[in-house]
Amino acid sequence: MYTQTIVRQTVETMEDTVYKDNNNGAVYETDFPTASESHKPAKNEYICDVLVVGCGFAGLNAAWAAKMEGADVLVVDKGMPGYSGMSPFASSHQWFDEQMGDDLEAFVREMVIANEYTANLDWYRTWARYSKETYMRLKDWGILDQYPTGEETGFHVDGDWRHDDLRGYMEYNARHDRRKCWIRTLNRFHIPYVPHTMLYEVIEQNGTVAGAVGFHVPSGSIITFHAKTVVLCMGGGSIKPSGFPTGCDTFDSDWIGYRHGLPIVGKEFDDFHFTTSYAPGNVLANNGWQYAENIWLCGGDITRQNLEMRAKRISNSLIIPRLKAAEEGLAPYTRSQVISPGGRGKSLSKKTEDPRTGKKTSPSPKGDAYGAAPGMHLHLGCGIWCGIDDLEGKTGLDGLWVAGDGCNGSCVSGSSYMNSTGFTSNFCSVQGYLAGKAAGYSAAGRELSVISEETLKEYRNEILAPMNRDVGFSPAWARDQLAALMSPYWVSITKTESSLQNTLELVLQLKDQVIPKLVARSPHELRSCHEMVHKILCAEMKLRASMERKESRGYHYRSDYPYRDDDYLCYLTITKDGDRMRFDRVSIKDEWKGNTDLPYAERYQYFRFPGEAAAKGLPEEPPAQMPWAGGSAKGPAPAEGNRQEGGK
Amino acid sequence: MSVVRISMENCIGCRKCVQICPMDVFRFDTQIRKSVIAYPEDCQSCGQCYLNCPGHSLGFTDLVTSAALTAVR
Repeated sequence: MYTQTIVRQTVETMEDTVYKDNNNGAVYETDFPTASESHKPAKNEYICDVLVVGCGFAGLNAAWAAKMEGADVLVVDKGMPGYSGMSPFASSHQWFDEQMGDDLEAFVREMVIANEYTANLDWYRTWARYSKETYMRLKDWGILDQYPTGEETGFHVDGDWRHDDLRGYMEYNARHDRRKCWIRTLNRFHIPYVPHTMLYEVIEQNGTVAGAVGFHVPSGSIITFHAKTVVLCMGGGSIKPSGFPTGCDTFDSDWIGYRHGLPIVGKEFDDFHFTTSYAPGNVLANNGWQYAENIWLCGGDITRQNLEMRAKRISNSLIIPRLKAAEEGLAPYTRSQVISPGGRGKSLSKKTEDPRTGKKTSPSPKGDAYGAAPGMHLHLGCGIWCGIDDLEGKTGLDGLWVAGDGCNGSCVSGSSYMNSTGFTSNFCSVQGYLAGKAAGYSAAGRELSVISEETLKEYRNEILAPMNRDVGFSPAWARDQLAALMSPYWVSITKTESSLQNTLELVLQLKDQVIPKLVARSPHELRSCHEMVHKILCAEMKLRASMERKESRGYHYRSDYPYRDDDYLCYLTITKDGDRMRFDRVSIKDEWKGNTDLPYAERYQYFRFPGEAAAKGLPEEPPAQMPWAGGSAKGPAPAEGNRQEGGK
Repeated sequence: MSVVRISMENCIGCRKCVQICPMDVFRFDTQIRKSVIAYPEDCQSCGQCYLNCPGHSLGFTDLVTSAALTAVR
């Protein structure tokens, strides 16, 4: 998005370095020679029982569980385990603890009403069952070490990253850095890993998984994996405005699943977190303290007494202000404040031995505009659909399992992600464990299939195609075009039939005119080319799913259908059917639907979408509380020379 | 918003930034034994390289600029 300017700016401000301008291949001459592209890895073919793709919370637990089943496990990651995807940024961890008095039925009831009757309760109850042992395991691995905050140690000044000493704090607590625990844990259990390798495709032979193929990103070398079973834990991705679409979570698993005819679910609910309007694409500014401080221990904060009030409060504070902020636009100066979460997600057990103190990150910027974090979507909203009764992530392709955020579309929190703080890191770990255990167990009864040379050659040609084109379009340019189409709030937030249809027409132009002609001038760009293909596919899915659901529910708001319609009380799945996307409706189990006999106003009483009251003849709700209202207001001034971008 | 080089002299050649960057922004120059910010346009501004750089060679800018949108690029 800002290629040329950044290159120029860095060259001007730095004395001793070199830059290759990827727009024209020119090298800026300075004191040092051009960086050589990376050497090829020593090994380009692997054999294992279970291949785990992606190593965040889901992948690490999947690899461990498969290993515990006695399988020969191999991990492959697009970056480095511990540092790639969303997992490095997890800042809270919740578990369910019956011994501390947690009441499962209260938790379940809250999930039903706050998620507008779309939460998968079977998966939720499964989470509760495995949750505490998962916490204990992560604690043993060192991921949940607790240590003093930036505020307590004096490294925190005012929550503005330009004043705080984030790096000093990281160095002070280096021995606790949880990112290091990923590789430490893999080594401890003798699980080998292949880093910096993008998995391109799962190889299917005679209806069964035979392995996978990918490429080493720095060198462009093709890597082949022969495996009896495969577990995808590759994260998701998000169609989001600011910083769009940076991040390494680029819907890689959705693309693979779709190609194999697996259903994709939840795209209409795909949404994203808030960010600060004064630094919308800056993850360090927004998430610095969440990254640097410990993962906060949470849970036990829902009771029969507070669940209704809680459901009303969180749905009101999360959904309505987002719609208002989008439609109204931003103030000339920031409305974001520096606030402390103040123990959000703290246990109500009142037991001194309960370690769940809630999230107490040092005061940090609170978002006031849509955007945020690297590729961060709203968690657990969409992905590959494994069926209404699935509880291990087993897909419709024999030998393939999926787990984790954005990869397994379990719909555990349905339309809204109205969980307690810290749910995702624990839930993904549980899901990874169950998928890895099943894949490990299954591998014991399977033989390795031989992948033919012809098949591998076809994949090699497919992977390297963008490197072999003489002319065409750069993936960065295509990314900018897609961002410009998908970012406006009338496409991504307050949707209408015409805005979706018009955008779809243009996205299809990109799909037809640009995608077949993407050019990579380096292995680095090869990765970007393939990621671009995935992004276009998921943009199309998001638009089509949003058109298909002609109602408003949770994070899906249609201003031309501004009310819930229980005819749509179902999961919409998208499956490849020749050249078209086929939609199917999956009925939600009766128990998950709540009381469908209640009058509308009572069944949907917690908040009103804009236009809903008028359409339904209901009284208007009082204005929702803005999330940035209250707290210790202290908006950082924009930096000198910092031009505001994003928002409007 | 991206990683920038504050001082090339301070780079100790540990390759940590090359190893941990999720966006494949860095390369390692084997001749000079230092890392190179090869693809700054893909920096996602997560700051992991900056926070983990033992030599304090890397910095961070919050400048936001934009390339012109052209018909092709």
